[in-house]
Amino acid sequence: MIFKIHWWKYLGILLLVYVLFVGILNPLKPGIYDLEPNRFITNQQVNIKVKGYNTNFTKGSVISYLKTGNSFLLKASQVNIINDTDLETVFDLPPHLPGKLNLVQCSFIIDSDFDGTSVLPSKIILSQDSINEIAGNLSWTLTKSPGFHIKHTSRFPYRNILYETIRNTFFHVSLWFAMFSMLMVSVYYAIRYLKTQNRDFDLRSSSLVKTAMLFGVLGLATGSLWARNTWDTWWTNDIKLNMSALSMLIYFAYLILRSSIEDPDRRARISGAYNIFALVAVVPLIFVLPRLTDSLHPGNGGNPAFGSDDMDNVLRLVFYPAVIGFSILGFWMAQLQYRLDRLSSVLDDQEDK
Amino acid sequence: MLLTSILFCLFLVIGQAQGQDFMRSTGKINVVFGVIFIIFCGIIVFLILLDRKLSKLENRINHE
Repeated sequence: MIFKIHWWKYLGILLLVYVLFVGILNPLKPGIYDLEPNRFITNQQVNIKVKGYNTNFTKGSVISYLKTGNSFLLKASQVNIINDTDLETVFDLPPHLPGKLNLVQCSFIIDSDFDGTSVLPSKIILSQDSINEIAGNLSWTLTKSPGFHIKHTSRFPYRNILYETIRNTFFHVSLWFAMFSMLMVSVYYAIRYLKTQNRDFDLRSSSLVKTAMLFGVLGLATGSLWARNTWDTWWTNDIKLNMSALSMLIYFAYLILRSSIEDPDRRARISGAYNIFALVAVVPLIFVLPRLTDSLHPGNGGNPAFGSDDMDNVLRLVFYPAVIGFSILGFWMAQLQYRLDRLSSVLDDQEDK
Repeated sequence: MLLTSILFCLFLVIGQAQGQDFMRSTGKINVVFGVIFIIFCGIIVFLILLDRKLSKLENRINHE
């Protein structure tokens, strides 16, 4: 009987346990952690020390390439494997670079038939003394698809700077999603209160806002910790950060408004109306404005999020359960808050009589 | 107020005391643990507040 009513809470627990286990234990795809040195002058033989992450250099055959922005490739003349995560690679740089520039940024590519292909983008800077475009184009090979090994695995994608923190997608991002779903449901209850004048709906609405505020504060805190270790600052002037802080303030004002009105019916009416306007203000602040300008958050400053560039299918397998799990957790917490608030309001009414 | 101050203290503890080397070792995995820890603390704070409100309610019922 109890299970029948509370099945969604158990579903939430299951989802969160799944997210915690898979989200933390599933390893990242192999990638290139770092290399040095990274600045060279052409017409010499250079030796690059490469550090891999989750790589298996000793298994399978490894080839490395330099690739310019306009798809010219240079294959390494020699690859010396030291161990699974370290290797040294030798390039014979020709005297001239492809293109008309003195300075060319190159991506470094390692292709292995065991690990697949890993890229360290725009890390190497090559400079030349004199420009000779034709000789440069001839000495590098122009190719769009040089037959790299692409491996489809169920691991999480490897991104430089992010590294393992890509897993925060499941915790930080889904907190915001859960917060937003709670705010929307709270507006639904606010509208129902305004229609029916039944104060239970107002209590539901306000307890959902309170829990959503907790999630919002947690979202800001976790985002700040993440930013400290990827963007190197606790807080930036990124529009999404400022606007979400602003929407937090709007909802803080909601709580203050509620606590400042004594009469329960007046309080319910005013805060219900305020709640609707708050959501209407928050949607453009968080979802519209960041897309109009540049933002450090993926999917903002242009095209919508969750395109294939931002979200990997393996991430989705954990991310969507995380969103549902955190939403259920939020609704559960809000329900506890509501039941408590309702009991004390019943008690208030009894005392008034 | 209580909530924000607790979280702010948490920040300082995690971020400053351990230093950046701790957070950025082994592929920055400790950032993920830090984030999970913050969420855990948030839920604990919620429970404490709920507990306090419940005790107040119990007191009111007992006094009647």
